[in-house]
Amino acid sequence: MSDKFIQTDGYKIIIDWFHKQNIQPFNFQTKTWEKYYQAFSGMVVAPTGFGKTFSVFIAVLIDFLNHPDRFKDGLKLLWVTPLRSLAKDLAKAMQTAIDDIGLDWTVEVRNGDTDIKIKQRQNKQMPDILLVTPESLHLLLAQKDTTKTFNALHCIAVDEWHELMGSKRGVMVELAVAFLTSTVNNVKIWGITATIGNLEEAGNVLLASCQKRTQVKASEKKKIEILSVLPDEVELLPWAGHLGSKLVEKVVPVILQSRSSIIFTNTRSQSEAWYQMLLDVYPDFAGQIALHHSSINSDIRTWIEDALSSGKLKAVVATSSLDLGVDFKPVDTVVQIGSSKGVARFMQRAGRSGHSPFETSIIHFVPTHSLELIEVAALKEAVKTQTIENKDPLFLTFDVLVQFLVTIALGAGFLEQQMLAVIRSTFAFKEISDEEWQWCIAFITNGGIIGKNYEEFHKVEKQADGLYKVTKRRIAMLHRMNMGVIVSDAMIRVKFIAGGFIGMVEEYFVSRLKAGEKFILAGRVLEFVRIKEMTAYVKAAKGKAITPSWLGGRLPLSSNLSYFLRQKLAQSVNPAKTDKELLFLQPLIRTQQSVSHIPQEDEFLVENIRTKEGYHLFMYPFEGRLIHEVMAALVAYRISKQYPVSFSMAMNDYGFELFSDSPIDLTLSQLEDILSDDQLIQDVIASINATEMAKRKFRDIAVIAGLVIQNMHGKQKSNKSLQSSSGIIFQVLEDHDAGNLLLRQAYSEVFNQHLEEQRLTAAFKRINNSKIIYKFATAFTPLSFPIKVDSLRQSLSSEDLAARILKLQQSTQTKAKRKK
Amino acid sequence: MNIIESTISFANEILTLTNFKAIYWQKENTIILSDLHLGKAAHFRKNGIAIPTQVSATDLQNLETIIEKYHPCRIIIVGDLIHAGSNSEVENFRIFTQQHNTINFILVKGNHDKHSDHFFKNIGLHEIYPEYRLGNILFVHEPQSKGNTFIICGHIHPGIVLPTPTNKHLKLPCFAVSEQQLILPAFSRFTGSDSKNTPANTCCYAVHQQGIFKIPASGQT
Repeated sequence: MSDKFIQTDGYKIIIDWFHKQNIQPFNFQTKTWEKYYQAFSGMVVAPTGFGKTFSVFIAVLIDFLNHPDRFKDGLKLLWVTPLRSLAKDLAKAMQTAIDDIGLDWTVEVRNGDTDIKIKQRQNKQMPDILLVTPESLHLLLAQKDTTKTFNALHCIAVDEWHELMGSKRGVMVELAVAFLTSTVNNVKIWGITATIGNLEEAGNVLLASCQKRTQVKASEKKKIEILSVLPDEVELLPWAGHLGSKLVEKVVPVILQSRSSIIFTNTRSQSEAWYQMLLDVYPDFAGQIALHHSSINSDIRTWIEDALSSGKLKAVVATSSLDLGVDFKPVDTVVQIGSSKGVARFMQRAGRSGHSPFETSIIHFVPTHSLELIEVAALKEAVKTQTIENKDPLFLTFDVLVQFLVTIALGAGFLEQQMLAVIRSTFAFKEISDEEWQWCIAFITNGGIIGKNYEEFHKVEKQADGLYKVTKRRIAMLHRMNMGVIVSDAMIRVKFIAGGFIGMVEEYFVSRLKAGEKFILAGRVLEFVRIKEMTAYVKAAKGKAITPSWLGGRLPLSSNLSYFLRQKLAQSVNPAKTDKELLFLQPLIRTQQSVSHIPQEDEFLVENIRTKEGYHLFMYPFEGRLIHEVMAALVAYRISKQYPVSFSMAMNDYGFELFSDSPIDLTLSQLEDILSDDQLIQDVIASINATEMAKRKFRDIAVIAGLVIQNMHGKQKSNKSLQSSSGIIFQVLEDHDAGNLLLRQAYSEVFNQHLEEQRLTAAFKRINNSKIIYKFATAFTPLSFPIKVDSLRQSLSSEDLAARILKLQQSTQTKAKRKK
Repeated sequence: MNIIESTISFANEILTLTNFKAIYWQKENTIILSDLHLGKAAHFRKNGIAIPTQVSATDLQNLETIIEKYHPCRIIIVGDLIHAGSNSEVENFRIFTQQHNTINFILVKGNHDKHSDHFFKNIGLHEIYPEYRLGNILFVHEPQSKGNTFIICGHIHPGIVLPTPTNKHLKLPCFAVSEQQLILPAFSRFTGSDSKNTPANTCCYAVHQQGIFKIPASGQT
């Protein structure tokens, strides 16, 4: 640190305050203070639990203590955080520090939970520090007198930037930051992030509009210890999902020996199942363990979180709903059930235990099938080398842009050229072309570029002085109600007939239930009675019941983890003494090796297996389920080009299967052709139904861009005449407005996110550079078996639609005849 | 798109179902259709939701195609002619009825048709009823059972989900036909269809550009 900075009054006051509490600030904290003093914007990189908050927050205080004259009345520090639940505790910690130091600043929270009266008071008199979510920030920008609200602003801090970047909420933050830096002079932007793979880029994205910027990285590291829960013996034919229940008994002592634990599962149905199994195996847990996932009523969730912080609960079975949020001090153990699918998520979950800076986080890994033990070995390697995933920023998300433009038109209004400059100063839209910009302006003013066709349309109007404004009250109201970029499935409340609210379930699930059918929610067996006005009425029941299968439960495997998986599988032939999991798996590895092969890092394994059922072709790219879905369709398509054949497909995170009732006769050289990266993307497009996929992607886009009015709870009636589905609008636009940028965005989201074009190309390149090992067998191998039993099945058929329906008709008719 | 027909027997009458989501009743030289939802796209636009105008033009073009083929003397619309308020698309319909002033337009009012009879007369409808009887068939808007009465109605926008071999599902609008009741699909393209509330024991005639497909009722013997 420079002497000049140490000599400042502000620094002296703060360091005194630290010393009075017997705390020594971390190096990254003092460095942030100094950089802020030197008028930098920047990005702070530090693991959770090391006082990230006190880096940027204190920096602003020091600045104020040094130059109180430079500060006006009003909002000085705007703190953006992705989670509402974090805001309250953060505000409390800040306020305590401020009071202690002896300043008269006030800290307040503003988000969806904030009382309307407090919001109105804030509108008149802003606090000195305000904590907001990206959504509430945009709502602030939609207010008439935004310039007044922000004219005293000195700094915008964006907390947990790693959570926001790569999502549309991140783009919302980029836009808001760019807008505020253009309207308020000399605002500094500071991001706070945990370690991710592309830190440099993370800074460039958030700080795109800042001239003077820096990065402050903490040298402190969180220690993580990974322990695997091993079954008694190795199953030679591992069966997905089968092993978990056997291991419950081994998880019980882990829970008993800890003060408090969180058991992480990947899906809500898995969490429901584990909650039941734990109670079955150890009934004394009743009342001591709880279930936490996003379908559970938020009051109950808050109660569970409080009980966990105060140490009243022994364990909580959770989904990613507890990945983030406030620290639970009593939690000293984390249990992960099944693959975590990514290094970052795994480390984040591990970090939920042992929260204070120099404590070690302990995480127990429970495999759901034996092969997942390889993943433990892979995770250990990834954590050791700190190989953490990238968060790829989004580009040209026009849905977010048009929403933002309407938001600003609702607030202060904007001038076209000025706004274009602001938009181009963001990372997400720096490449926006003049034509695309014209399209966006046309979209919000007369409905579309073929303007004459959209008479009667008025959303945003260009006034005589060139200012774009929303003038209609109804439009303003609809827009405010539908702001934001989180699009959820329509959720249905679940209530007892006798009264009492249990939780929320996707409409999709409830719509398939028949009266009298039983299902499990929040750990209870419920009998479905009827559905009325977005509420499903149920009564308590006993006995067998189905667990809701929620959509979107399947997370993709990250490419970092798949790299380590391949590496560890290759090493498993000659494992190091320290690789406990690989040693344990030896019987399985040896079987695989004797009946087939264990692929080395420069090899690619293909198994051609013939059983009584039929003919199977297995391939093992280890790229995750999503990519395998695309690869399987592609390989099936390329084989069917050689000779007519139809396949059904199955896949898991490790590989995929093509199954046919006729022989799959392929020579090694034919196989090499099929796996070639020649004409890759053309063949992918030919093998999948891109329109159908784009239609699904368009769902969110339509809501964000305001083409579909979301179902609001309790309010669904008032907008009934404006209800329509994104599917219908997609079709209408495809037929009549093919140049629509939102349609184009749907297709590019399919290519970038669903098909992961880059990763797919890289995978095929790798396969092409590998030696292809082609093995024949007459029974399932240890590697192939889990794929075989996995349920996700689909098949490829080149018949056209009318023929398909005809076929279906015939089969229905033959069935009907048989019944006669 | 070509008109594809499928002839059925209902209420002891011969009815022609078309893939244009309307019925032609030859004996009475009548076209029957439902849920036109005129002005829906314009209503959306008025509220700041950008839906192209061509949608409603396509609906009227389809009606034109049917008229050219069958030259009916009567068109019965079993409800939900107008989606919400009056707007330019409703005005286009007025011009349309004027061009076809030899046809008797009959409206059976639906839940969306909240305007006065006077208003409907102005846009070219000749007769307006809460329900209407022709021969032994009763025309109403919402499905209902009335003893032995044969009913033709609309309202629920029936659809059917067809599984395809790729384990994907395809949803098509359909005519839902049972012994006593025939439910029409929504005529307008800018409407969805509902595959969950189709009454049990109905035979569905799924409508597609390439044809009409009969899906017998499940459990039917």
